[in-house]
Amino acid sequence: MLKEIKFALYSIKKNIQSSAELRTSFLMNVIGMAINNTAFIFLWVFFVKSVGIIGGWTAIDIIGLQGFTAISYGIVLSGANGLRKIPNYVVTGSFDRFMLSPKNLILRIATSSFGASAIGDITFGIICIFVYCFLIHVSLYQILIAVVLLFLASLVFLSMTILISSVSFLFTDASSVHEGMFEIFLTPALFHGGAFQGVMRFVFTFLIPSLLIGTIPLEALKDVSLIKIVLMIVMAFFLFFLSIFLFNRSVRRYESSNFMTFGN
Amino acid sequence: MKEIRFANKLIRILVKDRLHYPGRLFVDTVSLIARCGILLILYWYVFKLNGGLVNGVTYNIVAWSMFFYFAFSTLRLRDISRSIMRDVQSGNIEVFLNRPVSYLSFKAWWQIGSGIYSFLLVTILGSVGLFFIIGIPQTMTIGIFLPTLLLVFLGASILTLLVYALVGVLAFWIEDIDPVYWIVDKTVMILGGSYLPIALFPTFLYKIALYSPFGASQFITHTVNESWKSDWYVLILTQLLWIIVSGITLYLLYSKAKNKLSVNGG
Repeated sequence: MLKEIKFALYSIKKNIQSSAELRTSFLMNVIGMAINNTAFIFLWVFFVKSVGIIGGWTAIDIIGLQGFTAISYGIVLSGANGLRKIPNYVVTGSFDRFMLSPKNLILRIATSSFGASAIGDITFGIICIFVYCFLIHVSLYQILIAVVLLFLASLVFLSMTILISSVSFLFTDASSVHEGMFEIFLTPALFHGGAFQGVMRFVFTFLIPSLLIGTIPLEALKDVSLIKIVLMIVMAFFLFFLSIFLFNRSVRRYESSNFMTFGN
Repeated sequence: MKEIRFANKLIRILVKDRLHYPGRLFVDTVSLIARCGILLILYWYVFKLNGGLVNGVTYNIVAWSMFFYFAFSTLRLRDISRSIMRDVQSGNIEVFLNRPVSYLSFKAWWQIGSGIYSFLLVTILGSVGLFFIIGIPQTMTIGIFLPTLLLVFLGASILTLLVYALVGVLAFWIEDIDPVYWIVDKTVMILGGSYLPIALFPTFLYKIALYSPFGASQFITHTVNESWKSDWYVLILTQLLWIIVSGITLYLLYSKAKNKLSVNGG
């Protein structure tokens, strides 16, 4: 296992070096994405100003929410960007090369591509979290909780990315389904968390766990809520093992569709 | 006349293509549900908490305004930027420029043809659904509503194509236009009244939305507001002004871009 992780880290390092070669494009992507993300803060801060405090959420909480979401998104889609390309790999037949690799399949696919713009998300997310922690005057204990919650939120995001990518093996051309499912998962994560109450909160926590990458970690950090931290731990690991299990099951349905057409 | 025949043919072919491959329709429908649908539920809850009124605005005005924004986005006119970028990066631009049709108008018709099927279906079904679920505000029953909606929709489509084509043409200089695209797109998203409807804008933001090309490209979201019946001609004239300004800028920039182009073969 250690060997596999070493290999994954080596792949990520090489991917970063390769992206950084095109320095201007790399920097523009990073800065552009960071500016792009601030739009959501503007939107929801204006929302809070217009409609008032909803579900105990203030404008400051929006900054924290965007921080959590951006970091987990950035971590997964920078280092493990290959997961989002699975539908394309399957359709073009290039998935064969991963199947033939002696390395761990998921790790090999995940590290096959690097998302430069996701570095912008991470940078933006870190700034947001710092600002948020400063504004709510967090204690050292809360900082430690924040680190753990960021890890758990990223794990949820990774698990959901794997889970959604697994549909690629169930359809002839799954890119549309994949894109649609990813949209349904990600979009609510960027919305004002306080407005999710009752049935909506249940649906987007347990059935489509979008709130687990921003809203719930933020509330757990703010209120130092043990129940929410436990919920995050349980859900993160449950989703992780479930995604690995379902991915391995789905891969069995893969049929090579390469363009060489040899062997019929 | 030739141009219209060509556009007609192109749109027909693309609509037929979309009928056979409904993947795009699926994504657009899911996207509308994920974004607009969830937002509408959230706003419903927010309005309920505030006793049915926020800033003197009722829920159905906000709901229809946001629906217009998201329905218009299924037309996918903004994709023209990335389409131009891909042509420049791949070198296909050389082939297009050698054709006896204007490259930019070809791209514009292509975008319209690609999105019109999803747009019509999603908009009609969404409108009917919304009508039965929440009804329509009084502002949508006035006589000028439909004709001005069509007029402002036409203007919004032209202005959106021009603004995003301007971003796309930048690919002749910087190749990767994604960062510029993201910033322009988010500005349109904020000023267009996507997540925060126009009716709830603070005064200064409302003014920026009114007098910038980014806000003007989404004036369809203003049509359900109370102020529409008195302000519609000012807004349509503003939109027209931005169409002229953007059109001239695009013409000049594109003329320079063609001279700048170098295709690397391969």
